Amino acid sequence: MYIITRNIVRFLVVVLFQVLVMDNVMINGYMVPYIYLLFILLMPFETPRWLQLLAGFALGLTMDLFSNTLGMHIAATVLAAFARSYMLDLLAPRDGFEPDSFPRIHYYGFLWFLKYTLVIIFIHHLALFYLEVFQLKEFLSTLFRVILSSMLSASTIVLSQYFVFRK
Amino acid sequence: MRTLLRFFQKYSDLLLFLLLEIIAITLIVQSSHYQRSRLIDLNRQVTGYIYSKVDGAREYFSLKEVNQRLADENMELRNRLDLISGSLDTATVTRELRGEHHYFFVPSRVVHNSIYKQYNYLTLDKGKKQGVFRDMGVISDGGLVGIVLESSANFATVIPVINRDFRLSAKIKSNNYAGILQWEGDSPLFAVLTEIPFHVTLAEGDTILTSGFSSIFPEGIEVGTIESFSLERGNFYDIRVSLFTDFQRLYHVNVIRNYRQEEQLNLENQNR
Repeated sequence: MYIITRNIVRFLVVVLFQVLVMDNVMINGYMVPYIYLLFILLMPFETPRWLQLLAGFALGLTMDLFSNTLGMHIAATVLAAFARSYMLDLLAPRDGFEPDSFPRIHYYGFLWFLKYTLVIIFIHHLALFYLEVFQLKEFLSTLFRVILSSMLSASTIVLSQYFVFRK
Repeated sequence: MRTLLRFFQKYSDLLLFLLLEIIAITLIVQSSHYQRSRLIDLNRQVTGYIYSKVDGAREYFSLKEVNQRLADENMELRNRLDLISGSLDTATVTRELRGEHHYFFVPSRVVHNSIYKQYNYLTLDKGKKQGVFRDMGVISDGGLVGIVLESSANFATVIPVINRDFRLSAKIKSNNYAGILQWEGDSPLFAVLTEIPFHVTLAEGDTILTSGFSSIFPEGIEVGTIESFSLERGNFYDIRVSLFTDFQRLYHVNVIRNYRQEEQLNLENQNR
């Protein structure tokens, strides 16, 4: 029960932080830090896959409503939630994740968390940015934006682990 | 039958994933950006409320700068008034006061602004109650901003120049050739003017104004200056326009009400 409440609170905090603070941050006209995926990243290991997907859907829908882009954030976030379960299988230690542990720096270390974050963020940004442009004409410039924004989002998320979302 | 059930059981997560993605893609493809943002009126009410609450803080911090800009604008207007007051006769003034004038401005505040996306939107704190309706023009002290897409009771959504769906007729000040102003999604500082034929002589630094063809904007609202131009696509120029409006710090804007818009549109529709 405690974990459920905590995740709901985290959902709200992440969305509000993204919409009110991060959406106003922009570097060079190219890079936007999308930190709302933090909610997907920090869900407990035992979360069933269907619940991860539905949570991704709800998160994407909320972000879409705030940015007038019905569908784009849903598609990207559901994809990220789907990729997460496979990523966790890939990154699992030999004897599985410890019970009562969470996918965080505190339990599995900086490098593990960075790898985990970067891959999922990259998949999410790839889907989001190409859906937004919706054409292949600007393939390279979009890829450039995807890579830069991924790095920015990932570093913001990793940093947030040391300051804001420490627990 | 049993194998079918087992199949569903085994791949239920994959199927759910595909289902959700299909919903998302349908939402994206089915409606154009234009129609889509009309659908979310409720959303506008809610997010508009949140944004305007938070905006109080932002407003406080930028007071000094805003004051300065207002003072500058005041000064300029006063100078202009001095220049023309000699040539005004009282007859025209009284006619203006009797409500024969064409345009009316509704000052409003930008409560939400996005500039780095491909489809940017602004939210204003004025809506139907204050006389802001769709297809009204929006300008700032710098120049052209955008067009009202839809309004609810107290808020309005605006398509700014820096939205890929934006189209407006604009002309070159020096020779009156009109083209289509649009945005290519690269930088919030520049837009593109197309459909100017190749025989027109252009110069970098020429001013671009609204043409007044559309009934949304009066003629002669400043848009920007020519940054560069090229003839890559055959018979028409691609003109890169450096915009006067600084979308990154857009705050006070004016919505333009054209009292004769309906009349003009009716006439144009009759003849079509």
